[in-house]
Amino acid sequence: MMEKGCELGRDGDWAILRVWGEVDLSWSQDVRKQVLDAYARVKSLAVQLDGVSYIDSSGIAALVEGFQHARAKGGRFALLAPSESVRAVLELARLDRVFPIFVDLAAARAA
Amino acid sequence: MSAPPLLRVEFPARAESLAEVRAAVNRTLLALAVDARVLARIVLAIDEACANIIRHAYRGCSEGRIELRIERHRGRLRFRLRDHAPAVDPGCLKPRDLSVCRPGGLGINIIDETMDYWRLRPLKRRCGNVLTMVRRLQARNA
Repeated sequence: MMEKGCELGRDGDWAILRVWGEVDLSWSQDVRKQVLDAYARVKSLAVQLDGVSYIDSSGIAALVEGFQHARAKGGRFALLAPSESVRAVLELARLDRVFPIFVDLAAARAA
Repeated sequence: MSAPPLLRVEFPARAESLAEVRAAVNRTLLALAVDARVLARIVLAIDEACANIIRHAYRGCSEGRIELRIERHRGRLRFRLRDHAPAVDPGCLKPRDLSVCRPGGLGINIIDETMDYWRLRPLKRRCGNVLTMVRRLQARNA
């Protein structure tokens, strides 16, 4: 497996974007594009973050865009299992109180 | 005479340089046995500062270079980032209101929350800017 990347999949009516590695300015635009591409196909997107070892503010910005897109279009957005390093940055940006965060997709569906 | 820097590295002002810079800062702070939480925050703050220089000072122009120096002095770590970009107005650098959820603009907040002191100084006689950030090593949580 590549050391960093993202892959868009599908589980029923949800799109799942699995992201792994260090997310920084060098490729956070790819994550942003995948987030927006997902919403072109479905109304619900979950971003799987347990494999993310580092994220900077440009990566966080891609997630915020997804969240705002869902809110504006009546869709759903969820973060799944953010790693400790992702959680630390979300807390620093006070976004841990804003994003819907779940352990897995089943929990996001049930919410 | 001041002590030699713990790290001195010069790199191209490109986003592709950032992973290597983070690794170098990580190694330097690990050698000082800096607490893991603090270390992660400092690495993030330096990464954000470099990203701001690349995006806003050099405006994505790939020709520029950045120099990072890390020094230890009396229980403090001093991080100095020198670029050769056009002068930046320090008055433009302000943390944003975190109660407003919007993409972008978090870099200054992260630096502000992580460092005890920081200052951006545009160089008057030569092209470029110097960002100095200082962080106490003890008696402060992440």
